[in-house]
Amino acid sequence: METIRNYLETMFQGLPETEEIRRLKEELLANMEDKYQELKDQGNTENEAIGKVISEFGNIDELLKEMNIPFAQEDMLADDAMLTRADAEEYLANAEISGRLIGVGVALIMFGVSLLIFLSALFEEYNIMRWIPENVRDAVPILAFFVFLVPAVGIFVYSGMRMKRYELIEKGQFTISVLTQNDIYQEYQESREGQRIYIVIGVILCVLSPVAIFAGSIFGDSGSSYGVCVTILIVAAAVYLFITSGIPAEAYKKLLKMEEYSDVQRKKNKVVGAVASVVWPLATAAFLIAGFVFNKWGSAWIIFPITGILFGAFAAVCSAFTGENS
Amino acid sequence: MISSDVIRGYNDTIILYFLLQKDSYGYEISKNIREITNEQYIIKETTLYSAFSRLEKNGYITSYYKTSAQGKRRTYYKISPEGYAYYIEKCEEWELTKSVINKFIRREG
Repeated sequence: METIRNYLETMFQGLPETEEIRRLKEELLANMEDKYQELKDQGNTENEAIGKVISEFGNIDELLKEMNIPFAQEDMLADDAMLTRADAEEYLANAEISGRLIGVGVALIMFGVSLLIFLSALFEEYNIMRWIPENVRDAVPILAFFVFLVPAVGIFVYSGMRMKRYELIEKGQFTISVLTQNDIYQEYQESREGQRIYIVIGVILCVLSPVAIFAGSIFGDSGSSYGVCVTILIVAAAVYLFITSGIPAEAYKKLLKMEEYSDVQRKKNKVVGAVASVVWPLATAAFLIAGFVFNKWGSAWIIFPITGILFGAFAAVCSAFTGENS
Repeated sequence: MISSDVIRGYNDTIILYFLLQKDSYGYEISKNIREITNEQYIIKETTLYSAFSRLEKNGYITSYYKTSAQGKRRTYYKISPEGYAYYIEKCEEWELTKSVINKFIRREG
Protein backbone atom coordinates (compact mmCIF):
# COMPACT_ATOMS: atom_id res chain seq x y z
CA MET A 1 0.00 0.00 0.00
CA GLU A 2 2.77 2.39 1.01
CA THR A 3 4.53 1.64 -2.27
CA ILE A 4 1.48 2.67 -4.28
CA ARG A 5 1.15 5.87 -2.29
CA ASN A 6 4.85 6.65 -2.82
CA TYR A 7 4.53 5.91 -6.52
CA LEU A 8 1.66 8.35 -6.89
CA GLU A 9 3.48 10.99 -4.86
CA THR A 10 6.45 10.56 -7.17
CA MET A 11 4.27 10.89 -10.26
CA PHE A 12 2.77 14.12 -8.97
CA GLN A 13 6.00 15.51 -7.63
CA GLY A 14 6.70 19.10 -8.54
CA LEU A 15 3.12 19.86 -9.49
CA PRO A 16 1.37 22.69 -7.68
CA GLU A 17 -0.85 21.49 -4.82
CA THR A 18 -4.12 22.80 -6.18
CA GLU A 19 -7.52 21.51 -5.13
CA GLU A 20 -7.93 19.92 -8.56
CA ILE A 21 -4.70 17.95 -8.29
CA ARG A 22 -5.34 16.96 -4.71
CA ARG A 23 -8.72 15.57 -5.71
CA LEU A 24 -7.33 13.73 -8.71
CA LYS A 25 -4.57 12.19 -6.64
CA GLU A 26 -7.01 11.06 -3.97
CA GLU A 27 -9.25 9.53 -6.61
CA LEU A 28 -6.41 7.70 -8.35
CA LEU A 29 -5.14 6.41 -5.03
CA ALA A 30 -8.56 5.06 -4.07
CA ASN A 31 -8.82 3.25 -7.44
CA MET A 32 -5.36 1.82 -7.22
CA GLU A 33 -5.93 0.64 -3.67
CA ASP A 34 -9.14 -1.09 -4.68
CA LYS A 35 -7.40 -2.76 -7.59
CA TYR A 36 -4.54 -3.81 -5.32
CA GLN A 37 -6.92 -5.25 -2.72
CA GLU A 38 -8.81 -7.19 -5.34
CA LEU A 39 -5.63 -8.62 -6.87
CA LYS A 40 -4.51 -9.73 -3.42
CA ASP A 41 -7.88 -11.31 -2.72
CA GLN A 42 -7.45 -13.27 -5.95
CA GLY A 43 -4.30 -14.79 -4.50
CA ASN A 44 -1.61 -12.58 -6.05
CA THR A 45 1.44 -11.85 -3.92
CA GLU A 46 2.06 -8.35 -2.65
CA ASN A 47 4.71 -7.75 -5.31
CA GLU A 48 2.60 -9.09 -8.15
CA ALA A 49 -0.33 -6.93 -7.08
CA ILE A 50 1.79 -3.77 -6.79
CA GLY A 51 3.53 -4.52 -10.09
CA LYS A 52 0.21 -4.94 -11.86
CA VAL A 53 -1.35 -1.83 -10.36
CA ILE A 54 1.67 0.25 -11.37
CA SER A 55 1.90 -1.23 -14.85
CA GLU A 56 -1.75 -0.34 -15.43
CA PHE A 57 -1.30 3.21 -14.22
CA GLY A 58 -0.43 4.60 -17.64
CA ASN A 59 1.27 7.82 -18.58
CA ILE A 60 0.82 10.81 -16.33
CA ASP A 61 1.72 13.29 -19.10
CA GLU A 62 -1.34 12.17 -21.06
CA LEU A 63 -3.57 13.04 -18.12
CA LEU A 64 -1.91 16.35 -17.31
CA LYS A 65 -2.18 17.45 -20.92
CA GLU A 66 -5.89 16.65 -20.99
CA MET A 67 -6.46 18.54 -17.77
CA ASN A 68 -4.41 21.52 -18.94
CA ILE A 69 -2.02 21.23 -16.05
CA PRO A 70 1.37 22.59 -17.11
CA PHE A 71 4.03 19.92 -16.81
CA ALA A 72 6.73 22.46 -16.35
CA GLN A 73 7.39 22.17 -12.68
CA GLU A 74 6.76 25.52 -11.11
CA ASP A 75 9.02 25.11 -8.15
CA MET A 76 11.90 24.17 -10.42
CA LEU A 77 14.94 26.16 -9.47
CA ALA A 78 16.71 27.93 -12.26
CA ASP A 79 20.09 26.42 -11.43
CA ASP A 80 18.80 22.88 -11.19
CA ALA A 81 20.04 20.64 -13.97
CA MET A 82 17.41 18.89 -16.06
CA LEU A 83 18.14 15.19 -16.22
CA THR A 84 17.33 13.28 -19.37
CA ARG A 85 16.47 9.62 -19.49
CA ALA A 86 19.96 8.85 -20.81
CA ASP A 87 21.60 10.79 -17.95
CA ALA A 88 19.58 8.85 -15.43
CA GLU A 89 20.44 5.50 -17.03
CA GLU A 90 24.11 6.41 -17.13
CA TYR A 91 24.05 7.40 -13.49
CA LEU A 92 22.35 4.14 -12.52
CA ALA A 93 24.83 2.06 -14.51
CA ASN A 94 27.73 3.87 -12.85
CA ALA A 95 26.17 3.50 -9.43
CA GLU A 96 26.08 -0.23 -10.00
CA ILE A 97 29.75 -0.31 -10.94
CA SER A 98 30.59 1.92 -7.99
CA GLY A 99 28.63 -0.46 -5.74
CA ARG A 100 30.73 -3.39 -6.92
CA LEU A 101 33.96 -1.42 -6.51
CA ILE A 102 33.16 -0.34 -2.97
CA GLY A 103 31.93 -3.85 -2.18
CA VAL A 104 35.25 -5.30 -3.38
CA GLY A 105 37.17 -2.63 -1.42
CA VAL A 106 35.40 -3.36 1.84
CA ALA A 107 35.71 -7.11 1.26
CA LEU A 108 39.46 -6.65 0.64
CA ILE A 109 39.89 -4.83 3.95
CA MET A 110 37.98 -7.50 5.82
CA PHE A 111 39.99 -10.16 4.04
CA GLY A 112 43.13 -8.31 5.17
CA VAL A 113 41.95 -8.26 8.79
CA SER A 114 41.14 -11.95 8.58
CA LEU A 115 44.59 -12.70 7.16
CA LEU A 116 46.21 -10.59 9.87
CA ILE A 117 44.52 -12.59 12.61
CA PHE A 118 45.24 -15.84 10.81
CA LEU A 119 48.97 -15.14 10.41
CA SER A 120 49.32 -13.87 13.99
CA ALA A 121 47.69 -17.02 15.32
CA LEU A 122 49.75 -19.21 13.00
CA PHE A 123 53.06 -17.66 14.06
CA GLU A 124 52.13 -17.89 17.71
CA GLU A 125 51.15 -21.53 17.44
CA TYR A 126 53.92 -22.99 15.32
CA ASN A 127 56.71 -20.51 15.74
CA ILE A 128 57.58 -20.90 12.07
CA MET A 129 60.00 -18.86 10.00
CA ARG A 130 62.55 -18.76 12.79
CA TRP A 131 65.26 -17.64 10.39
CA ILE A 132 63.64 -14.20 10.31
CA PRO A 133 64.44 -11.88 13.24
CA GLU A 134 61.54 -11.75 15.69
CA ASN A 135 60.73 -8.07 15.32
CA VAL A 136 60.52 -8.43 11.53
CA ARG A 137 58.38 -11.52 11.93
CA ASP A 138 55.93 -9.61 14.12
CA ALA A 139 55.48 -7.13 11.30
CA VAL A 140 54.63 -9.75 8.66
CA PRO A 141 50.89 -10.06 9.51
CA ILE A 142 50.58 -6.27 9.61
CA LEU A 143 52.31 -5.99 6.26
CA ALA A 144 49.93 -8.59 4.86
CA PHE A 145 47.05 -6.47 6.14
CA PHE A 146 48.41 -3.39 4.39
CA VAL A 147 48.81 -5.32 1.15
CA PHE A 148 45.01 -5.54 1.15
CA LEU A 149 44.30 -2.17 2.73
CA VAL A 150 46.25 -0.10 0.19
CA PRO A 151 44.46 -1.32 -2.97
CA ALA A 152 41.15 -1.03 -1.12
CA VAL A 153 41.80 2.63 -0.35
CA GLY A 154 42.83 3.07 -3.99
CA ILE A 155 39.53 1.56 -5.09
CA PHE A 156 37.58 3.90 -2.77
CA VAL A 157 39.34 6.95 -4.14
CA TYR A 158 38.84 5.77 -7.74
CA SER A 159 35.15 5.06 -7.15
CA GLY A 160 34.71 8.44 -5.50
CA MET A 161 36.30 10.14 -8.51
CA ARG A 162 34.04 8.22 -10.90
CA MET A 163 30.93 9.40 -9.06
CA LYS A 164 32.23 12.93 -8.68
CA ARG A 165 30.59 14.06 -11.92
CA TYR A 166 27.21 13.02 -10.54
CA GLU A 167 27.59 15.35 -7.60
CA LEU A 168 24.42 17.27 -8.50
CA ILE A 169 22.37 14.08 -8.48
CA GLU A 170 23.89 12.96 -5.21
CA LYS A 171 23.00 16.31 -3.69
CA GLY A 172 19.50 16.24 -5.14
CA GLN A 173 20.03 19.39 -7.21
CA PHE A 174 18.23 18.29 -10.36
CA THR A 175 14.82 17.97 -11.90
CA ILE A 176 13.51 15.13 -13.96
CA SER A 177 10.50 14.82 -16.22
CA VAL A 178 7.47 13.03 -14.87
CA LEU A 179 7.65 10.53 -17.71
CA THR A 180 11.25 9.57 -16.98
CA GLN A 181 10.44 9.37 -13.32
CA ASN A 182 7.63 6.96 -14.12
CA ASP A 183 9.98 4.68 -16.08
CA ILE A 184 12.66 4.81 -13.41
CA TYR A 185 10.14 4.01 -10.74
CA GLN A 186 9.09 0.89 -12.60
CA GLU A 187 12.70 -0.18 -13.05
CA TYR A 188 13.26 0.42 -9.35
CA GLN A 189 10.34 -1.81 -8.44
CA GLU A 190 11.65 -4.55 -10.72
CA SER A 191 15.15 -4.34 -9.28
CA ARG A 192 13.93 -4.64 -5.70
CA GLU A 193 13.12 -8.34 -5.98
CA GLY A 194 16.77 -9.23 -6.65
CA GLN A 195 18.00 -6.86 -3.96
CA ARG A 196 15.77 -8.49 -1.41
CA ILE A 197 17.21 -11.90 -2.20
CA TYR A 198 20.78 -10.59 -1.75
CA ILE A 199 19.90 -8.99 1.56
CA VAL A 200 18.23 -12.14 2.84
CA ILE A 201 21.29 -14.21 1.86
CA GLY A 202 23.53 -11.61 3.53
CA VAL A 203 21.54 -11.67 6.76
CA ILE A 204 21.58 -15.47 6.83
CA LEU A 205 25.37 -15.44 6.36
CA CYS A 206 25.77 -12.91 9.19
CA VAL A 207 23.60 -14.93 11.54
CA LEU A 208 25.46 -18.15 10.75
CA SER A 209 28.96 -16.64 10.76
CA PRO A 210 29.66 -16.96 14.54
CA VAL A 211 29.25 -20.72 14.19
CA ALA A 212 32.81 -20.77 12.83
CA ILE A 213 34.10 -19.29 16.14
CA PHE A 214 32.26 -21.88 18.20
CA ALA A 215 33.43 -24.67 15.91
CA GLY A 216 37.01 -23.38 16.12
CA SER A 217 36.96 -23.07 19.91
CA ILE A 218 36.51 -26.85 20.15
CA PHE A 219 40.13 -27.05 19.02
CA GLY A 220 41.43 -24.72 21.71
CA ASP A 221 42.54 -21.09 21.76
CA SER A 222 44.26 -20.97 18.40
CA GLY A 223 41.27 -22.82 16.94
CA SER A 224 38.98 -20.02 17.96
CA SER A 225 41.38 -17.50 16.38
CA TYR A 226 41.08 -19.37 13.08
CA GLY A 227 37.33 -19.45 13.67
CA VAL A 228 37.34 -15.66 13.92
CA CYS A 229 39.14 -15.53 10.55
CA VAL A 230 36.46 -17.66 8.92
CA THR A 231 33.69 -15.62 10.56
CA ILE A 232 35.18 -12.40 9.18
CA LEU A 233 35.39 -13.95 5.71
CA ILE A 234 31.73 -14.97 5.86
CA VAL A 235 30.74 -11.51 7.09
CA ALA A 236 32.87 -10.03 4.28
CA ALA A 237 30.80 -11.98 1.74
CA ALA A 238 27.61 -10.72 3.41
CA VAL A 239 28.85 -7.13 3.45
CA TYR A 240 29.71 -7.42 -0.25
CA LEU A 241 26.12 -8.48 -0.94
CA PHE A 242 24.72 -5.62 1.18
CA ILE A 243 26.86 -3.01 -0.55
CA THR A 244 26.38 -4.22 -4.12
CA SER A 245 22.62 -4.36 -3.66
CA GLY A 246 22.39 -1.28 -1.46
CA ILE A 247 24.27 1.28 -3.54
CA PRO A 248 22.21 0.85 -6.76
CA ALA A 249 19.04 0.96 -4.62
CA GLU A 250 20.24 4.22 -3.07
CA ALA A 251 20.89 5.56 -6.57
CA TYR A 252 17.29 4.86 -7.55
CA LYS A 253 16.04 6.56 -4.41
CA LYS A 254 18.23 9.59 -5.09
CA LEU A 255 16.86 9.89 -8.61
CA LEU A 256 13.29 9.56 -7.39
CA LYS A 257 13.98 11.74 -4.33
CA MET A 258 12.35 9.10 -2.20
CA GLU A 259 12.41 8.57 1.55
CA GLU A 260 15.64 9.92 2.99
CA TYR A 261 16.42 11.73 -0.27
CA SER A 262 13.29 13.85 -0.29
CA ASP A 263 14.13 17.54 0.00
CA VAL A 264 12.79 17.76 3.55
CA GLN A 265 14.51 14.65 4.80
CA ARG A 266 17.84 15.65 3.28
CA LYS A 267 18.26 18.53 5.69
CA LYS A 268 17.65 16.24 8.65
CA ASN A 269 20.08 13.63 7.43
CA LYS A 270 22.94 16.05 7.69
CA VAL A 271 23.16 15.33 11.44
CA VAL A 272 23.61 11.60 10.97
CA GLY A 273 26.07 12.23 8.15
CA ALA A 274 28.11 14.62 10.25
CA VAL A 275 28.29 12.16 13.14
CA ALA A 276 29.25 9.34 10.77
CA SER A 277 32.12 11.35 9.34
CA VAL A 278 33.57 11.69 12.86
CA VAL A 279 32.73 8.29 14.33
CA TRP A 280 34.07 5.99 11.61
CA PRO A 281 37.51 7.59 11.23
CA LEU A 282 37.75 7.56 15.06
CA ALA A 283 36.92 3.85 15.11
CA THR A 284 39.55 3.18 12.47
CA ALA A 285 42.11 5.22 14.40
CA ALA A 286 41.28 3.31 17.58
CA PHE A 287 41.70 0.04 15.69
CA LEU A 288 45.11 1.03 14.37
CA ILE A 289 46.29 2.36 17.76
CA ALA A 290 45.12 -0.78 19.53
CA GLY A 291 47.08 -2.76 16.98
CA PHE A 292 50.28 -0.79 16.63
CA VAL A 293 50.66 0.58 20.16
CA PHE A 294 49.18 -2.19 22.24
CA ASN A 295 49.72 -5.02 19.76
CA LYS A 296 46.13 -6.20 20.13
CA TRP A 297 45.54 -7.06 16.46
CA GLY A 298 43.76 -10.22 17.45
CA SER A 299 40.96 -8.54 19.38
CA ALA A 300 40.91 -4.95 18.11
CA TRP A 301 38.58 -5.80 15.20
CA ILE A 302 35.74 -5.95 17.74
CA ILE A 303 35.73 -2.11 17.54
CA PHE A 304 34.06 -2.24 14.14
CA PRO A 305 30.99 -4.35 14.93
CA ILE A 306 30.51 -2.40 18.19
CA THR A 307 30.74 0.94 16.39
CA GLY A 308 28.39 -0.41 13.74
CA ILE A 309 25.74 -1.40 16.27
CA LEU A 310 26.04 1.83 18.31
CA PHE A 311 25.98 3.97 15.18
CA GLY A 312 22.98 2.07 13.83
CA ALA A 313 21.18 2.67 17.12
CA PHE A 314 22.07 6.37 17.01
CA ALA A 315 20.82 6.71 13.42
CA ALA A 316 17.60 4.92 14.35
CA VAL A 317 17.00 7.22 17.32
CA CYS A 318 17.68 10.23 15.10
CA SER A 319 15.21 9.14 12.45
CA ALA A 320 12.62 8.35 15.14
CA PHE A 321 12.92 11.91 16.46
CA THR A 322 12.83 13.56 13.04
CA GLY A 323 9.87 11.32 12.18
CA GLU A 324 7.97 12.78 15.14
CA ASN A 325 8.78 16.31 14.11
CA SER A 326 7.61 15.97 10.54
CA MET B 1 -4.53 -7.62 -25.28
CA ILE B 2 -5.66 -4.83 -27.54
CA SER B 3 -3.38 -1.88 -28.16
CA SER B 4 -4.59 1.39 -26.65
CA ASP B 5 -3.69 3.23 -29.87
CA VAL B 6 -6.36 1.44 -31.88
CA ILE B 7 -9.06 2.01 -29.33
CA ARG B 8 -8.19 5.62 -28.43
CA GLY B 9 -11.11 7.29 -30.21
CA TYR B 10 -13.61 5.05 -28.45
CA ASN B 11 -12.66 5.24 -24.79
CA ASP B 12 -15.28 7.95 -24.33
CA THR B 13 -17.91 5.74 -25.95
CA ILE B 14 -17.03 2.84 -23.68
CA ILE B 15 -17.31 4.99 -20.56
CA LEU B 16 -20.63 6.52 -21.66
CA TYR B 17 -21.97 3.02 -22.28
CA PHE B 18 -21.55 2.20 -18.60
CA LEU B 19 -22.87 5.56 -17.41
CA LEU B 20 -26.03 5.00 -19.47
CA GLN B 21 -26.83 2.06 -17.21
CA LYS B 22 -26.12 3.80 -13.91
CA ASP B 23 -23.94 6.45 -12.32
CA SER B 24 -20.52 5.05 -11.60
CA TYR B 25 -16.97 5.85 -10.47
CA GLY B 26 -13.47 5.23 -11.83
CA TYR B 27 -12.59 1.85 -10.44
CA GLU B 28 -16.01 0.34 -11.10
CA ILE B 29 -15.84 1.35 -14.75
CA SER B 30 -12.30 0.08 -15.27
CA LYS B 31 -13.27 -3.20 -13.60
CA ASN B 32 -16.36 -3.55 -15.78
CA ILE B 33 -14.32 -2.94 -18.95
CA ARG B 34 -11.90 -5.61 -17.90
CA GLU B 35 -14.65 -8.12 -17.16
CA ILE B 36 -16.78 -7.52 -20.24
CA THR B 37 -13.79 -7.80 -22.58
CA ASN B 38 -12.42 -10.87 -20.78
CA GLU B 39 -9.27 -8.86 -19.97
CA GLN B 40 -8.62 -8.19 -23.65
CA TYR B 41 -8.82 -4.48 -22.98
CA ILE B 42 -7.50 -3.05 -19.75
CA ILE B 43 -7.87 0.71 -19.56
CA LYS B 44 -4.96 2.55 -17.97
CA GLU B 45 -5.67 4.73 -14.96
CA THR B 46 -4.47 7.89 -16.69
CA THR B 47 -6.43 7.12 -19.89
CA LEU B 48 -9.59 6.71 -17.85
CA TYR B 49 -9.17 9.99 -16.02
CA SER B 50 -8.15 11.84 -19.19
CA ALA B 51 -11.46 10.69 -20.67
CA PHE B 52 -13.43 11.79 -17.57
CA SER B 53 -11.77 15.19 -17.75
CA ARG B 54 -12.50 15.55 -21.47
CA LEU B 55 -16.10 14.37 -21.15
CA GLU B 56 -16.77 16.69 -18.24
CA LYS B 57 -15.26 19.67 -20.06
CA ASN B 58 -17.52 19.01 -23.04
CA GLY B 59 -20.56 18.77 -20.78
CA TYR B 60 -21.21 15.10 -21.59
CA ILE B 61 -20.95 14.02 -17.97
CA THR B 62 -21.23 15.68 -14.57
CA SER B 63 -19.60 14.60 -11.34
CA TYR B 64 -20.60 14.54 -7.69
CA TYR B 65 -19.18 13.11 -4.46
CA LYS B 66 -20.70 10.08 -2.85
CA THR B 67 -19.47 7.82 -0.09
CA SER B 68 -19.31 4.23 -1.31
CA ALA B 69 -20.42 1.16 0.64
CA GLN B 70 -16.81 0.67 1.84
CA GLY B 71 -16.87 4.15 3.32
CA LYS B 72 -14.55 5.70 0.74
CA ARG B 73 -15.48 9.04 -0.75
CA ARG B 74 -15.74 8.68 -4.52
CA THR B 75 -16.30 10.95 -7.46
CA TYR B 76 -19.36 9.56 -9.24
CA TYR B 77 -20.09 10.46 -12.83
CA LYS B 78 -23.50 10.99 -14.39
CA ILE B 79 -24.27 11.15 -18.12
CA SER B 80 -26.01 14.29 -19.41
CA PRO B 81 -28.52 14.52 -22.33
CA GLU B 82 -25.66 15.94 -24.44
CA GLY B 83 -23.60 12.94 -23.44
CA TYR B 84 -26.34 10.61 -24.57
CA ALA B 85 -26.56 12.38 -27.95
CA TYR B 86 -22.78 12.15 -28.29
CA TYR B 87 -22.89 8.44 -27.47
CA ILE B 88 -25.49 7.78 -30.20
CA GLU B 89 -23.39 9.78 -32.63
CA LYS B 90 -20.29 7.75 -31.78
CA CYS B 91 -22.22 4.48 -32.21
CA GLU B 92 -23.22 5.55 -35.72
CA GLU B 93 -19.66 6.64 -36.46
CA TRP B 94 -18.42 3.22 -35.39
CA GLU B 95 -20.87 1.38 -37.63
CA LEU B 96 -19.62 3.47 -40.51
CA THR B 97 -15.97 3.02 -39.56
CA LYS B 98 -16.49 -0.71 -39.24
CA SER B 99 -18.10 -1.05 -42.68
CA VAL B 100 -15.39 1.08 -44.29
CA ILE B 101 -12.47 -0.74 -42.70
CA ASN B 102 -14.11 -4.10 -43.37
CA LYS B 103 -13.75 -3.45 -47.07
CA PHE B 104 -10.00 -3.68 -46.60
CA ILE B 105 -9.90 -6.76 -44.42
CA ARG B 106 -9.03 -10.04 -46.12
CA ARG B 107 -11.32 -12.75 -44.88
CA GLU B 108 -9.84 -15.78 -46.57
CA GLY B 109 -6.52 -16.98 -45.11
